[in-house]
Amino acid sequence: MSTTTTAIRDSSGIRLFSWFLAKRLVQAAVVIAIVSVIVFLLLQALPGGPARGILGQQATEAQIAAFNHEQGFDLPLIQQYFNYVGQWLQGDLGRSFVMNTDVSSLIAQRLPKTLVLALAAVGGALLVAIPLGMAQALRRNKPFDYVMTGLNFIVYSTPSFFLGLLLIMFFSQFLGWLPASAPQGDTVAEILSQPKEMILPVLTSGLAGVATFSRYMRSSTIDNLHEDYVRTARAKGTPMNKVVSRHVLRNSLTPVVTMLGYYLPVMFGGALVVEQLFNYPGMGLLFWNAAQTSDFPVLLGCVLVISVATVIGSLLADVTQFILDPRARGGVK
Amino acid sequence: MSATTLSRPAPKSPASRAARQFFSNKLAVLGVIIVVALMIFSFIGPLIYQTEQVSTNLLQADLKPGEDGHPLGTDGLGYDVLGRLMVAGRTSILVGLAAGVLATILGTLWGSVAGYLGGWVDATMMRIVDAGIAIPGIFLLLVISAIVRPSEWMMILIIAVVSWLVPARLTRAEALSLKSRDYVLAIKATGGSNSRAILRHIIPNTIGTVVVNATFQVADAILLIAYISFLGMGLQPPSTDWGAMLTDGISAVYSGAWWLIFPAGIAIVLIVSAFNFIGDGLRDMFDVRGRS
Amino acid sequence: MSNTPAEPTNVPALKVENLVVDFKTKYGVVNAVRGVSFSVARGEVLAVVGESGSGKTITSLTAMSLLPSTAHTSGVVEVDGADVLNASEPVMDSKRGNVVSMVFQEPMTALNPSMKVGKQVAEALLNHRGLSKPEAMERAVALLDRVGIPDPAVKARNFPHQLSGGQRQRVVIAIALACNPTLIIADEPTTALDVTVQAEILELLRKLVKETDTALLLITHNMGVVADLSDRVVVMNAGLVVETGTTLQVLTAPAEPYTQALLAAVPTLPEAQWDAIIAEERAQAPEHPGSVEAAVAVDPVLDMRALCVDYTSGGRKLRAVNQADLLINRGEIVGLVGESGSGKSTLGRAPLGLVPVTGGEITLFGANLLKASNREIRKLRSRIGIIFQDPGGSLDPRMTVGDSIAEPLIMHGVNGRRPRRAARESRVNDLLEAVRLPANNANRYPHELSGGQRQRIGLARALALAPELLIADEPTSALDVSVQDEVLTLLLDLQKEHGFGCLFISHDLAVVHSVSQRVTVMQHGNVIETGLSAQVLQHPAESYTRHLVASIPSPDPVAQKQRREARTALLSSISTGS
Repeated sequence: MSTTTTAIRDSSGIRLFSWFLAKRLVQAAVVIAIVSVIVFLLLQALPGGPARGILGQQATEAQIAAFNHEQGFDLPLIQQYFNYVGQWLQGDLGRSFVMNTDVSSLIAQRLPKTLVLALAAVGGALLVAIPLGMAQALRRNKPFDYVMTGLNFIVYSTPSFFLGLLLIMFFSQFLGWLPASAPQGDTVAEILSQPKEMILPVLTSGLAGVATFSRYMRSSTIDNLHEDYVRTARAKGTPMNKVVSRHVLRNSLTPVVTMLGYYLPVMFGGALVVEQLFNYPGMGLLFWNAAQTSDFPVLLGCVLVISVATVIGSLLADVTQFILDPRARGGVK
Repeated sequence: MSATTLSRPAPKSPASRAARQFFSNKLAVLGVIIVVALMIFSFIGPLIYQTEQVSTNLLQADLKPGEDGHPLGTDGLGYDVLGRLMVAGRTSILVGLAAGVLATILGTLWGSVAGYLGGWVDATMMRIVDAGIAIPGIFLLLVISAIVRPSEWMMILIIAVVSWLVPARLTRAEALSLKSRDYVLAIKATGGSNSRAILRHIIPNTIGTVVVNATFQVADAILLIAYISFLGMGLQPPSTDWGAMLTDGISAVYSGAWWLIFPAGIAIVLIVSAFNFIGDGLRDMFDVRGRS
Repeated sequence: MSNTPAEPTNVPALKVENLVVDFKTKYGVVNAVRGVSFSVARGEVLAVVGESGSGKTITSLTAMSLLPSTAHTSGVVEVDGADVLNASEPVMDSKRGNVVSMVFQEPMTALNPSMKVGKQVAEALLNHRGLSKPEAMERAVALLDRVGIPDPAVKARNFPHQLSGGQRQRVVIAIALACNPTLIIADEPTTALDVTVQAEILELLRKLVKETDTALLLITHNMGVVADLSDRVVVMNAGLVVETGTTLQVLTAPAEPYTQALLAAVPTLPEAQWDAIIAEERAQAPEHPGSVEAAVAVDPVLDMRALCVDYTSGGRKLRAVNQADLLINRGEIVGLVGESGSGKSTLGRAPLGLVPVTGGEITLFGANLLKASNREIRKLRSRIGIIFQDPGGSLDPRMTVGDSIAEPLIMHGVNGRRPRRAARESRVNDLLEAVRLPANNANRYPHELSGGQRQRIGLARALALAPELLIADEPTSALDVSVQDEVLTLLLDLQKEHGFGCLFISHDLAVVHSVSQRVTVMQHGNVIETGLSAQVLQHPAESYTRHLVASIPSPDPVAQKQRREARTALLSSISTGS
């Protein structure tokens, strides 16, 4: 972190950073506003309008008319939109008509469990992918690299539910080592108390991450190995393995770290499938169940929360990139 | 100098040089072979190997491979698995190709206009793309499928709608860098029109990025179809795709009916890997940057 | 830093004998170096000169054993008496940075962007000197001080992007110098730098060579740099040594026809009367910039007055061009010179609508460009031709050369209508002939042509509509001198024939002197001086121009010595005068 402070300490650095941050925050706010419009429009697009969606298919025309008036759905669209936004800003995402609970409290209960699964998967994937990607880059176009590249593509091309299925068949049915179902429970603590049950879901979502991250690390390392500074370091008499560990590693990691921020939507999408396959009680399963029962308030609430999380993730990614990569700052001039 | 000039072989377009580069990538060639083979299997196969794939026949249900003239057995509804694999492949490949290509065309036009015009137009167009990317595609797909039950055409449209964003970003970045090239500047500087610059110079020079990305888009689209089916929002039977077949086979994990899982699963992995291999080969050939 | 020679040996710092380097590529074997021999003694500066493809850089990388793995070498290369070609990697690691070290061309990318510069210098010491980290850092700061980095203790804690290009090159030199090597190889060490910075770096290298008995192998294409620094010269061409001798002999009386032709192609500035200039400088030392002699408008094609261009970046306005005047008459070539960041390209692009003009007036062919309608602007701009610097980027790679040349004809038509295909083809053939290229080039793609050929095509395209004004932005900067000479001759011939006005933008004062009648000098966005080329470049009136002219190394070793002394005198009068 001392790196960060010295780099930004000079006054022009601070000015540049605050300008960059301000610009990026405005952008993020605009994006979230557009997302809210999309979600609002989806609500309007429901068959029979939001009333049908919320009251269910059995409601009579009279009930719908009464409901529409009561909820202000007969108001002009613009006014309705701002009413929604007002609610959303207060943390009110509506009520599930299937479970008869606040959507926000449902999400608050489920989201942490999805995050635990995702963090374990991403963390594990990085631990494998970073050395793997570097090793491939250093043996570029050698048999090891070809085999690993081919394997990466195959893993990347396998639907995660098929991959999960294969893992269940092998580890759970054939070897009998691991349970095929996910940990159950209301709290994160309960989930964490069943580590053995966590292994297969984490492995399933983690393998796809390994394929993605290692390819990224490979190409980032290859780019850096071609940089002039590598030649300068070699010309100082620094042996190649030290050039890699002292110079190339750090510079190659920056884009990978940055990418994590953009990886959030992929992570949530993956959770949806893996949670369904293993019956893991996270937000993905909540969403899937809501889709089965056409529980639109839950569906849209989830979309809204995930989108906001994604926007914040990419904002953090850009800020991290700005801080970690001196070239990014130099380029702003 | 003119002597050496004249003795040189007939001019070769950049394309023919590039083709040689592509065919030197063995994985890419393998990809082409797999795609062609699976297309023959899915489109010509049913003409040779004719099976009943519309009405069910419970008398013929759950046969093992080889029993009663069914090389890959039958499923729980009595459909011949080999024949069903062909029908399903037709959907997966057609929908995947159409959706991937449509998404790429949409994204290319959007991105090149935004990138070349710049300023407020660019800022507005790209914030819309950011918003689209912020909503994970598969969630949006499920919401849309919950509203409208998809036909094949609907599926193509929905997948394209959630997939055009990445090509839009890529082409925009490309257009941004191309518009500061001297030959594009020269058009503007000597009184040429925007449409000439975009149509004659920007888009032809993004072709590498576009073609590479289209290939990856097709791969991703085929995967998305499988996911939609797995999540129970896919096509209505008797229509099917490889993802739906695989999903139907999940319950077979415990009964040991492997032929309900592996053929469909392997078919998906093969076709998606093949398109990814081709994309990788094309990327070498056009010498363009990565997927994201 | 005392380098006490244990015994005065006759072992050369570098011995190269019969060196052959081949590269295996997909398209066959490339013979990059084909039997080269020379040696460098301790305390000697040997320059290896040649154009691109001569094999000079490959030769120098061989001495570092840093060639790519596709290279195959034979012959003898010894550094300080020890074999390099067959040495193992660990042995070479112990020599690189220690016995032999290197200064690279591109200071902007030669340093690790995410490591503080002090640490990068210290790394060389840690590799070879067995120092503790604090000791190495202390030595690194001393080295930064020695190569002339101001405030070295503070700068040592900076990242490369916080230093200027010249400072970064000084850091690279500090790294090369760290372990008192027997041999330093400098590969185009000043090519990426502005001339005034180049002069400073050359001064530093001269000082360092004098202080130590290190041998310096200087790889360069610039005859002025050779004349300034080297004792002996090796001239290379196509992988072979053409001529070897003392610098004075090779540069003033070359024996080989190749060397003679090469030297003849180098544009030179005639000698200024330095004594008079230095005296003037001392007399009117505290002067104000902007005393610009107004140009005479005879028949102006382009007249820019008090022009301002502002860019916004990081939320702040940056003034790229400030109140600049520029006038070009029909039939004359006006040179626009300045260092990078001077605003010369920006000013040249203002009439083309490629930069945000925020003040002043532009009169193009008698019309007020800033008040004209879009239609009128299009018409006016169709009477301008443009050539850019990068011959690779000025032609669309996906269009044939013929289509590129014909494009302006299609865009604007000839006599108000779009010419038919046959008419276009015959016009393209005429244009190709005008730039002295065979007509069959029309079907080729740009990648099949050399840089010089592409620049001729660029010229043909610019002339397609018989322009009245040609704007040429560094048109020959990316070319070898011999090719540059051909293109400049062509440009001059065509200008005489067609009589267009021409704005010739360049950082190279000698080139500008060889083509232009009048010249305008810019610095930091301001026009510093305008006048007849002979006047401005041989007897500059402004302090900055004097300094600039004195910084350009002359390919004549005797003249260069005078110029160097003049530069030093000017610098000292600036520091005493203020």
